[in-house]
Amino acid sequence: MPQIELRNVGKSFGTFIVCHDINLVIREGEFLTLLGTSGCGKTTTLNMLAGLEEISSGDLLLDGVRANHLAPTERDVAMVFQNYALYPHMTVARNIGFTLKMRGVSRDEITRRVTEVAQSLELGHLLDRLPSQLSGGQQQRVAIGRAIVRRPKIFLFDEPFSNLDATLRVRMRAEVKDLHRRLGVTSVFVTHDQEEALSISDRIAVMRGGVIEQVGTPEEIYLHPATSYVAGFIGNPQITLLSGRVQASSGQLSVVSGAAELPLPPDADVTPGQAIEFAVRPEQVQPDPKGHPATVTSVQPVGAATHVGVMTAFGPMVASLPRFARLNHGETITLGFEPAHMLLFDATTGRSVGRRPIPVRKERTGS
Amino acid sequence: MSYERYRSGGLGLKTGIALALGVFAVWSLAPIVWMVMTSFMRQRALIVRPPDFSPASFTLANVTKIIGESDMLWQGILNSAAVALLSTAIALALGAPAAYALARLRLPKAGAISFLILATQMLPGIAVAIPLFLIISRIGMIDHIVTLALVYLTFNLPIVIWILRGFFLSIPDSIEKAAAVDGAGVVQTFVHIILPISRPPLAAAAIFAFVEAWNEFFFALILTRRSVQTVPLVISQFQGQYQTAFGQMMAAALISVLPVILLAIVFRNHIIRGFADGMSKG
Repeated sequence: MPQIELRNVGKSFGTFIVCHDINLVIREGEFLTLLGTSGCGKTTTLNMLAGLEEISSGDLLLDGVRANHLAPTERDVAMVFQNYALYPHMTVARNIGFTLKMRGVSRDEITRRVTEVAQSLELGHLLDRLPSQLSGGQQQRVAIGRAIVRRPKIFLFDEPFSNLDATLRVRMRAEVKDLHRRLGVTSVFVTHDQEEALSISDRIAVMRGGVIEQVGTPEEIYLHPATSYVAGFIGNPQITLLSGRVQASSGQLSVVSGAAELPLPPDADVTPGQAIEFAVRPEQVQPDPKGHPATVTSVQPVGAATHVGVMTAFGPMVASLPRFARLNHGETITLGFEPAHMLLFDATTGRSVGRRPIPVRKERTGS
Repeated sequence: MSYERYRSGGLGLKTGIALALGVFAVWSLAPIVWMVMTSFMRQRALIVRPPDFSPASFTLANVTKIIGESDMLWQGILNSAAVALLSTAIALALGAPAAYALARLRLPKAGAISFLILATQMLPGIAVAIPLFLIISRIGMIDHIVTLALVYLTFNLPIVIWILRGFFLSIPDSIEKAAAVDGAGVVQTFVHIILPISRPPLAAAAIFAFVEAWNEFFFALILTRRSVQTVPLVISQFQGQYQTAFGQMMAAALISVLPVILLAIVFRNHIIRGFADGMSKG
C-alpha cells in the first residue's frame, strides 16, 4: 500500500502558484528524493507533507487516509532542516529529548532513548554541549537524532547537507543511506544536488516550476530522461543539447544539424521534418577512428576521467575520456557514439522522443 | 555604513567618524558630569558667574545630608521601584505574547495592527492628561501605585511590543517548524523555545520600560498626592520658592540614577544585542 499519496496537490500564495497538480505515490520504506533548482516547489511540497504549509488544492493521503487537515504532530513525521534548526538554548540531550517531552514520555524513558540514539550517532560524548559548541556535521547529526528518537513513520529531509563542506556532505550522505537501510523508515529527501539525489535515492522526482517533470529510479532518470530539462539537469558534466531536423532517406531516419547528418536509432519516435533536440552523455562519446572530426576546445582532468569539450560539424559536445587524456587545445580528434545512445527530444514540447518513451508527469503505482 | 567600508576607509573618514562620536559623547555625558560635579559643590560656588571650581568649593555635605536626612528620597526610591517594577512586569507579560502573535501567527492585518500600536505613541501625553486625571480621580484611584503603573504601561507596552516583535521576526522560522514537528503547540513553542532564546530583547525591553517609569515626571505629578511620590517628584522639591538647593538636588538625582546605571551596566551585553536584533527588522 502506498504510504504517502499526493493527488493533484497544488499550492498557491494568492495568485502566485508554487506547486501545480503534484501527483506522487511514495511506498512504505522507500527513499524518495524531490530534486530541482531553488524555487521549483520541492521544499513547499515537503512542507505540505509535514503539515507546515497548508495544501491549497488536491489531497494528501497518509496510509490511505486523507490528511490535509492534520497538524504536523498528528502526521507522525520527523523533519531535518537545512540550517539544522536546533534549539540554541538547549543541550544536545535536551534537543533530542524535546519531542519526547512534548509527548509526555517519562523522564527515565527519555534519558534511555536519548542515550541510545546519541550512541548510535556517535554523539554520546556531546550530550551536555550546546549547539553553538558543535561543528556543522555534529549539529546535523543532532538534528537527525532528534528526528529518529521518536521512531516516526516518515522522515523528511529538507536539503540537510547543503550547509556542510563537500567531504562531510559525502560522509553524511552515506550515513543517512545507512540509517535508512537500518530503520527502513519511509523517507522524503529534498535537494538541488543531482549527484546527491542519484547516490541516495530509491526513486527521484525531478521538479521544475512547481511541476513534477519525471519520477523514476536514478537509472531511469539518468538513462531515459523524460524531458530535455531532466536530461540537462542530471549528469555531470552537463550535456549540451543540439538542435536539428529529422530527415528520411532510403528508409533510414537521420537528423540534420549544422553541416552534419547523423543516423538516428530505428526505433526513434520521430517523423521526417520534425524539429528535435539531441544529446549524448559524455561517457558514451568515445574515441573512434571512423568517428566525427572534433576540435578540442577545453580539457578538464578530474582524476578518474578527463572532460573534453569539443566542437564538431553539428555543434559543441563534451566527451568524458578515461583517466588523464593527453590532449591539446585546438587539436583535432575523432569521436563516435552509438545512435542508440542519443537522447532525443521534441524541440517544441521538450519531451522525449527516444526509443523508449517514458510517461511524463504520470505516477507509476504499485511495485 | 558597513564595518568593511569603515575598515578600508582612509584616515579622513576615520577621523571624521571619531570626531562625530566624540561630539556625541560630550553632548550626552556633559549633563551627567555636571550633575556629578554639582552634587559635590557648595551652593555659593554654584551661583557665582562663572562657577568657582577651586578645591575649596568641593564638599561631601550635599551627599551626606541627602543620605542622612532625606527620608523623602528613600521613600521616593521605594515608590519608584514599586511602580517601575510593576509596570515593567505587566508590560513584558502582555507584550511578549502580543508581539509573538503579531510576528508569527499570520494574523490578518498584523502589519496594520502593529502600526496602530505604535501610533498610540504619537499622541502627546498632555492631550490625555486632563481626561485621564478626571477619570482616575472619579474612580478614586489618585495617589495609588497601581494607577501610576497602569498609566506607564500604556506608554511602555507599545514599545515593548515593537522591540520584541522585531526580534521574533528575526528568528529563523525553521526553529518553530522543528518545534511543530516535534509536537509542540503554539503556546508550548512560545514558552519552551521562543522565550528562552529571547532573553536579550526581553532584557532590553525590560530596561527600557523600567527607565521610562523610573524617570517619568509629568503624570506622577498630576496623579499623586503625598503617599506615592516618585523620585523625580522628590527631586523637584529641592527647588524652593526663594532658593534652589542645587547641590542637594543634584546629589538626590545622582543617587536616584544609580540603580538605573547599575542595571544598564549589569545587562549591557543583553541590551545592546537586544536593541540591535529588535531594531533590525520592523
